[in-house]
Amino acid sequence: MITLTWKSNTTVPVEAECITPENLAGKSAAEVGRLAVQHGNRPESLGEFFSVAGDASDSEITIEGEMQRVKWVGAGMTRGRITVRGSIGMHLGSEMTGGIIDVHGQAGDWVGAEMRGGLIHVRGNAGHQVGAAYRGSRRGMRGGTILIDGAAGNEIGSTMRRGLVAIGGACGDFAGVSMIAGSVLLFGKTGVRTGAGMKRGTIALFPAADRDVETALLPTFRFDCEYEPVFMRLVLRQLRGLGFSPADRVATTTFRRYSGDLVALGKGELLIAARLG
Amino acid sequence: MQIDGVEIEDTFAEAFAMVAARAIITADSADWATTAAREATGYATSVIACDAEAGVERELAPDETPDGRPGASVLFFGFSRDKLEKAVANRIGQCVMTCATTACYNGVDQLDKPIKIGGSLRYFGDGFQTSKLLEQPLADSRQPSAVGNQPSTTPKEVVVQAARLRLPLTTLQAGRLHYANDQQSSRRRFWRVPVMDGEFLCEDKFGTVKGVAGGNFLILASTPRAALAAAERAVAAIRQSVRDVILPFPGGVVRSGSKVGSRYKKLRASTNDGYCPTLRGVTATSLPEGVAAVYEIVIDGLSLAAVEAATRVGVRAACLPGVVRISAGNYGGNLGPHHIRLHDVLK
Repeated sequence: MITLTWKSNTTVPVEAECITPENLAGKSAAEVGRLAVQHGNRPESLGEFFSVAGDASDSEITIEGEMQRVKWVGAGMTRGRITVRGSIGMHLGSEMTGGIIDVHGQAGDWVGAEMRGGLIHVRGNAGHQVGAAYRGSRRGMRGGTILIDGAAGNEIGSTMRRGLVAIGGACGDFAGVSMIAGSVLLFGKTGVRTGAGMKRGTIALFPAADRDVETALLPTFRFDCEYEPVFMRLVLRQLRGLGFSPADRVATTTFRRYSGDLVALGKGELLIAARLG
Repeated sequence: MQIDGVEIEDTFAEAFAMVAARAIITADSADWATTAAREATGYATSVIACDAEAGVERELAPDETPDGRPGASVLFFGFSRDKLEKAVANRIGQCVMTCATTACYNGVDQLDKPIKIGGSLRYFGDGFQTSKLLEQPLADSRQPSAVGNQPSTTPKEVVVQAARLRLPLTTLQAGRLHYANDQQSSRRRFWRVPVMDGEFLCEDKFGTVKGVAGGNFLILASTPRAALAAAERAVAAIRQSVRDVILPFPGGVVRSGSKVGSRYKKLRASTNDGYCPTLRGVTATSLPEGVAAVYEIVIDGLSLAAVEAATRVGVRAACLPGVVRISAGNYGGNLGPHHIRLHDVLK
């Protein structure tokens, strides 16, 4: 395992897409320290910002520190594991196709944007556009799993095509906007216009007992029925197996189903868990 | 060889290779799961005249099923993968999808030669069907919390952990690292077909294995009552303690044992006259003196070892007072590749 320890106090963004298990594998600590990063408008070496110890021959990387300005960590990774102990900046795991990123802290915007596979688990909060499509892109996340234990911002899973996003805390507006398919599970308070323009896919809401989310739904979602979708048992089981603690709070198997968004294809669904108490 | 005074004939059962699949059927209650399982495995005693051989392997507790509901495990056997696919899709479609509250899952880990089940039945949804693709997290051999890779982990613990986490067993055994986006075994697609009580959930593809069918032994007894009591005891013992096998005949017991061919051209099999007590005087009988009835136990299994284990357990349980001899059916060793010698499995 290789350990990168943040040692800088810069406030200028550091773009470090070189930090992936496959890129660091087979390199000595000195070689890793010489890898190129972008510091604002200047190229620098990774060793300017991190002290490096160990080697990544086992495809395991640990990064330590408060690195809100460090972007693109794990972008495009295909295998291995990155463990972040602290906070990390934008574009974490962007377009990754495999492997695991485990963040014991906060993450910035665009976590797992357009990812194809693998697992990202953020134990704290994340920013906007989790699993979303980049501006101008036709599709967002196309596979994999993103778990955010805390809160997240706007446009969760925007234009996602496949995969699973679960947000344990509150989220902002337009969750699941323009979804093509896939699943978004929201265990906390939600913003407005959830599922706007979704074509297919599932958005599941698990509201607290004292919250009425149905009156805030877009009028272009039509009520179908109250039922017990068996597939949701599989999804929740998988989340529990991954250590996503908000799923442990779900005690019901009954959901109210709405079809929509009828301004788009209308084959999507909003599943609202029965409130307890 | 004798067990409890019962002669074990020095002969062998001749068994055949067949393609096998396992389905896990769940429902809101154990009654409905069992109902669906029995319906799906009806009219499936022998490929002599049925599209498949099938049976209920065992009932499953909620913590043993993928969705946490009561369930049943059923096995299907066919002569070819194509025939098995057609038979299983028809049976799941007509007998499980139609049954209240059910869902159906693949029960075999190996997905390199799958058959399409949910992927065929989805068309019943008439365009309203949807699917969910679940990606299974795979264990990491370098993770302290990973299961199945610590030296102290026993095979049984691996199986238990695999069942608990719904992970492919083979993956755990290999102790693999990655989320493995390129491995089919880490991805499972489930079809959701709208039906009148909600949705029928069925896994897209079911794995198959090369199984063993036609394992058997014969219980020769002095009275029909003694023969049936021994057969019932053998069936109960096998069902209680042996996994990966089914006994496809009614109650697990066969009374119309057959021989190959017939004097009638259209029949591929006919009554095994050598074991019919009513024909003792007019045919070349295989019945020793004092035998008045014979029952056969036929065993299909996912492996030769499972069939041998079932034979061992069944024969031992069948050695009751009134039973004269235990024998086995074969075709002179010329047809089936698997010869299960009674004396060998009972050592």
